Amino acid sequence: MTTAVKISDGRGQGLPRDPSQDNDKHLQAHGHHQRRGRWTRFQPVLYVLPVVILSGLFIYYCIAFTVWASFTNWDGLSDQMGFVGMKNYTKLLDPSSVFWVALRNTLIFLVVTVVIQAGLGLLLAVILKERMRGSNFFKAIFFLPISMAPVIIAAIFRIIMDPNVGSINEALRALHLGFLAQTWLGDPHIALFSICAINIFEWMGYSMVIYYAGLLSIPDEVYEAAKLDGAGFWTTLFKVTVPMLSGTTNTLIVLGIVGSLKTFDIVMLTTGGGPGRSTEFLATYLYKLGIQQFNGGLSAAVGVLVLVVAVVLSLGQMAVAKRSGN
Amino acid sequence: MKRKMSMTVIMYAVLVFFLLIWIFPIWTAVSKSFNINGFGNYATVINNPDVHYFRVVFNSFFISISTSVIVVFITSLGGFSFSKMPFRGSKIIYLLLLACMAVPVASVTMPLFFTIKAFGLTNTYLGMILPMVAFNALQMLLLWKNYFDGLPDEIIEAAEVDGAGTFRIYSRILMPLSVPMIATTGVLTFVYSWNEYLIPLLIVRDETKYPVTLASTYFMETRSQTPEMVAQMYAALILMTIPSVIVYLISQRWLQSGITAGAVKS
Repeated sequence: MTTAVKISDGRGQGLPRDPSQDNDKHLQAHGHHQRRGRWTRFQPVLYVLPVVILSGLFIYYCIAFTVWASFTNWDGLSDQMGFVGMKNYTKLLDPSSVFWVALRNTLIFLVVTVVIQAGLGLLLAVILKERMRGSNFFKAIFFLPISMAPVIIAAIFRIIMDPNVGSINEALRALHLGFLAQTWLGDPHIALFSICAINIFEWMGYSMVIYYAGLLSIPDEVYEAAKLDGAGFWTTLFKVTVPMLSGTTNTLIVLGIVGSLKTFDIVMLTTGGGPGRSTEFLATYLYKLGIQQFNGGLSAAVGVLVLVVAVVLSLGQMAVAKRSGN
Repeated sequence: MKRKMSMTVIMYAVLVFFLLIWIFPIWTAVSKSFNINGFGNYATVINNPDVHYFRVVFNSFFISISTSVIVVFITSLGGFSFSKMPFRGSKIIYLLLLACMAVPVASVTMPLFFTIKAFGLTNTYLGMILPMVAFNALQMLLLWKNYFDGLPDEIIEAAEVDGAGTFRIYSRILMPLSVPMIATTGVLTFVYSWNEYLIPLLIVRDETKYPVTLASTYFMETRSQTPEMVAQMYAALILMTIPSVIVYLISQRWLQSGITAGAVKS
């Protein structure tokens, strides 16, 4: 009960009002002295300051810190940071390093999840756009996992995917498909794809909703014209709809890149990166190095490389999109 | 638009097929949570002396609502300025801020942990709220800037003629006008904060400050997989999810419009 009261309190309050009045008078007083008498010169700057300080400076400071720490032998806890030059990087980029395994897993995950989420999301969005009876219900269910924490979803799937008591294998056996039963999270050849499946379950609704909005923005005339030209369902889909949604697809790919680079919860709570290193991701590797093995310098170097990968992939994707768009 | 009967059947078949896949995990969790002891499983979880359920839910609400209020305030104010009052260098600052959207939280794990520790904010609500504000603000700033770009300047000019200061225009005219946008960005930030796992994991050791995401892992750590334990674990997970699902059901419309606004315009 107490929590319920708390919610309405927090919501009802909305924005803090009191400082506004002080500010108002203060700024207006200055306004009179301004030449243009329109916006005082520092007001606009003042308004962006909170977000610049709390978000921009905070993140850029963290990045600068990461870059600096990556050249040291910092343990992640103490103040002592001895400069070691490129040592962390040569260690990480060594062909036998776990870094490459983590990078490969992350990239496989990126491609598999983005392709399936986009493909399935588009298919369902196209069907839902027909506004058949019950389509809102379907939409709500497909979107529901987004409101659930990845931690919870990972936890549910960890039991469902259990080889002995898990419901997936139970269901397969009940359907006389027992030969398909697997050690979903324990088999090094399958575990990575099981994690992809969990991610798709969580995020497919996101792609679907975005495509749905994109579809609504395509004018009906376009479809009528296609119909007059005698285009069937599939022709219309691939020759009209998909090209017109290329901007949306591009957005989804960029979001997918950042999303897979930060994928942590699902992996940590299902396989923990195992068996062996078969599901090690960049984010989990970085966490283990820094927090569990007290190797802050090396962990920071992974962080820098993750940033480099994020920037390179995002810029690359935008360049490809630009070229194909024109 | 006319549609062939066979097409309708195929479309329903596709929808139902995927619906079954999507419902399967949720249905399994719900039905198995009642195994053996029925509602007793839920009672056991709520009465668990190690994880104070109501405390944990309160923590999550407190953290998520605080983050939302701060994010909505600073990003609407910033978006207003970036959109309607551009100043020398504001475009560059805006782009530098948006570039941070490509920074995964995980890549700055170590400095985040260390900085919060240096400020003495380990094990505090503020220690969790500040990083959540930092990493959620960027997307919301983008939404607000795009939103204000779409508002006609006349609204502001009319108010100026009446002699209203810029903060008055913001607080008395623009904000009351933007309730749907406040809801969208607020709900989006709320859900993202509620679901956040890495930040609390780094900052909090004190169990009385645990949000639901950390508390859920407590129930997963019990290794023994007796049917009784599994049933209890499902009950725990459902109890931890219920508040955010309720928020979702109430705010579905805003949540979806927020996500699409952010993605379609960027």
